[in-house]
Amino acid sequence: MAEKRYMVQIESLEKYFGEDRERVHVLKGISLDIPEGSLYTFLGPSGCGKTTTLRCVAGLERPERGKISIDGKTVFASGERVYIPTNKRPIGMVFQSYAIWPHMTVFENVAYPLTIHRRPKSEVKQKVEGVLKVVGLQGLEDRPSPKLSGGQQQRVAFARALVNQPKVMLLDEPLSNLDAKLREQMRFEIKALQRQVNITTIYVTHDQAEALAISDQIAVMHAGKLIEVGTPHQLYSRPKRKFTATFLGLTNLIEGKIVELGGDSKPGRMETKRGILSFIPATGLAKGQPAVLSIRPEHIQVHKEKPQGLDNVVEGTVKEAVFMGDAYHCQIAVGDVLLRVHTHPFLSMNPGEKVYLHLDPQSCNGLPAEDVEGVDESMLGA
Amino acid sequence: MSRFFNSQALILIGCSLFVFYLAGVPLVMLLYGSVRSAPIGEPGATFTIQNYIKAYFDREFYLLFWNSIKYAFGTTVVSFLIGTYLAWISERTNTPLKKVFIVMALIPFIIPGILSTIAWILLLSPKIGLINLVVKELLGLESAPFNIYSMGGMVWAEAIHLYPLVFLLMSAAFRNMDTSLEEASLTAGSSTFTTFRRVTLPLMRPAMFSALLIMFIRGIEAFEVPALVGVPARISVFTTKIFLAIHQFPSDFGLAGAYAVTLLAISTAGVLLYQRVTRKEESYATVTGKGYRPRVIDLGGWKYVTCISASLIFFLAVVLPVFVLLWSSFIPYYGVPSRELMAKLTLSNYKYILNYPLALTAFKNSFYLSVGSATLVMLLTSVIAWITVKSKIPGRIFLDNMAFIPIAMPGIVLGVSLIWVYLTLPIPIYGTIWVLLLAYITKFMPYGIRAASASMIQINKELEEASFASGGTWFQTFRKVILPLLMPGFVAGWIYISIISLRELSTSILLYSYNSTVLSIMAFDLWEGGQYTYVCALGVLMVLLLVAMAYIARQLGARIGIAD
Repeated sequence: MAEKRYMVQIESLEKYFGEDRERVHVLKGISLDIPEGSLYTFLGPSGCGKTTTLRCVAGLERPERGKISIDGKTVFASGERVYIPTNKRPIGMVFQSYAIWPHMTVFENVAYPLTIHRRPKSEVKQKVEGVLKVVGLQGLEDRPSPKLSGGQQQRVAFARALVNQPKVMLLDEPLSNLDAKLREQMRFEIKALQRQVNITTIYVTHDQAEALAISDQIAVMHAGKLIEVGTPHQLYSRPKRKFTATFLGLTNLIEGKIVELGGDSKPGRMETKRGILSFIPATGLAKGQPAVLSIRPEHIQVHKEKPQGLDNVVEGTVKEAVFMGDAYHCQIAVGDVLLRVHTHPFLSMNPGEKVYLHLDPQSCNGLPAEDVEGVDESMLGA
Repeated sequence: MSRFFNSQALILIGCSLFVFYLAGVPLVMLLYGSVRSAPIGEPGATFTIQNYIKAYFDREFYLLFWNSIKYAFGTTVVSFLIGTYLAWISERTNTPLKKVFIVMALIPFIIPGILSTIAWILLLSPKIGLINLVVKELLGLESAPFNIYSMGGMVWAEAIHLYPLVFLLMSAAFRNMDTSLEEASLTAGSSTFTTFRRVTLPLMRPAMFSALLIMFIRGIEAFEVPALVGVPARISVFTTKIFLAIHQFPSDFGLAGAYAVTLLAISTAGVLLYQRVTRKEESYATVTGKGYRPRVIDLGGWKYVTCISASLIFFLAVVLPVFVLLWSSFIPYYGVPSRELMAKLTLSNYKYILNYPLALTAFKNSFYLSVGSATLVMLLTSVIAWITVKSKIPGRIFLDNMAFIPIAMPGIVLGVSLIWVYLTLPIPIYGTIWVLLLAYITKFMPYGIRAASASMIQINKELEEASFASGGTWFQTFRKVILPLLMPGFVAGWIYISIISLRELSTSILLYSYNSTVLSIMAFDLWEGGQYTYVCALGVLMVLLLVAMAYIARQLGARIGIAD
């Protein structure tokens, strides 16, 4: 197997905003390696530093410390006082507002990265037409850009970012200004487009569903720190951190204390108020230490009769059941804990009913209880 | 290291130094000159406080001070009342013809101060004033009922010239007020009058106060009316005192400097107060950018009263002065309109002006100065606005303040300062058109900054970042993205500056020489020489030039950038 090549490498990036007493530490040592040709997403709540990191890669922000290289070439290194300005970096960027210049036509907007380098007219024409075809805007060359719809503006922004064949494409929340329907459609288009042109792409978003749908890899960030990196599947089904489990999708957390660590396909065991529960352990756990067990609502099986011969069964009372079409979304009280459970729509659920919940150990992730500082619990799982 | 010496750094540093040179050096030289016993270069010049002693212990100083304050205060009150009344009528009432009034209210803007002053002398002079002669004949009076050569006459002439600015400021304030604030008061059960007193008035107070302050500053630094009316009437204010100190023989530069510093102190206090008020005004945030439809008050039968009163104001403020200028420009000698004079209407005044050798020079100089200063100011301030609004360069606030200093400098004070600068520095431009160009750029820089910053703030930062990310350098980005997007503000600022520089008098009058005569100076000289009909012909041509320039600039701006 060929060695994986990294297109963008970020090393211990530190960035502050503001001056003197109002100084805010926005990036606290971010290190990332972004593989060539991948669609790599920075995901996190607003203020987590994802956009700042992207802007550091673009050269629009200057970090205080750290190192950034693109395609093996150092573009920023605090130690060696290297700082390549934005216009000298091999990038294309799509902005949150699209930043389509209103005083230019579609053609002029897209041709800008070429005309700025004084390319011959024939080449400009050929390349612009080619890229407009890729984004599906052929025939709109002479349209003044203020007369474009939101979706069209976004395609122009993509075309402009692509036209000069950059090494890296940077996308700063490109879908946040579109309405919900269009947003979903564009997710597929961006993914298809990225596969077609095969340009390494960094994608910034706060929308976890978007990140799951689109990414090859996701870097979860919070409060200026990198929490966890993984494929969408890894992060959703086997998160290693409490923050990842709660930020991506819905989950239930049950607090407890490790009695048996497990490992090597052997589940661990945790003592909780509801008895001893089995789980698949993450790293960073220790026997006798507090931990949390995370299980997603759709992984909890509801039984009306007490099932025999199963591990991890708890008893609960249905508090609320809301019919959502494809499922019942229930709140089930287990002692003083409310668990969210999604059940099959054919299984009718009535408030007040007594039920038995099977928490399949394979779906239970044991995670360290201590998590990043400043996690606002009320924000999680929203 | 190379990035410290690229084109961006050179342009930014160059523009910043130029602003410092334009705004800072004259200020320093004025203060320095006011404590020197003789102009620099002359032998035996020493440091002295003699100039201030001479100025303050002059018996007439307190009369002078009192006159200046009275004049500025009177102008403020009259122009404020007229401007606010007209603004209220056109924004908040259902008065008929209010669309016409809005246009009429702005016409005096295009008429240079020297012309409106001359028009009012021709209307209200006790001997030749048109109104006086007509009223005298109609009522069979012995003596003229009005006398422009009085404090009241001066205040009237100045206020009529200045009220359009109040109209604009107060219209904007009326228009931008969130009427739901008033409606909330009405629904809470208070009457229309209580709402006005408890809600509308307090919300308008900062806008009113800032309009009053601007009028006061304009009044204290006014030159045209005090020079043309006040000097013959022996009513001195600071601006004319400074002018006379330099125009006497031998010129007393030191004394002029001492008076100029005093005037500067007064107007600076006004500007600082104004800045504090407007900052507070912003915190009121009655303007949210939403397009409010102001609640229009149904005046019932009173709407005819407001209509007639507004028409009367416009008849006085616009129709009469314009008429008297036009009329006088077509008659062979000055006189009241009569059948006899109607038969003698002639173009000879225009012929005289167009064949007057100095007139051609003046037209050329004025045109070059107006176009040159407007263009240079807007280019310079666009760069400065980028630094102060978009960049994070340290010291940008200082630069912004620096570019704003000249707003506090009355024209005559700037003139005195620049005399000191170019009599001292070894730059041989004194008495040439170049010193006028520098003076105009300095004087109008604050207006340019205001126009450019306001537009710059509107430009989303991502629009320029997209250019950097596309590989554009700073210079390419500025030229291809920022400047075109700035165009609406650029053109608006350009038109305004070209108009006010074409009518500039108070600074030019201390700095011009025969070869660098401009139109307003020529009008002043013709008037002093008693050639009233020629002045009027010149004035009409000047106004035509102004209108043409504004029109062309607007057309060009629409073609270069995005039409506003």
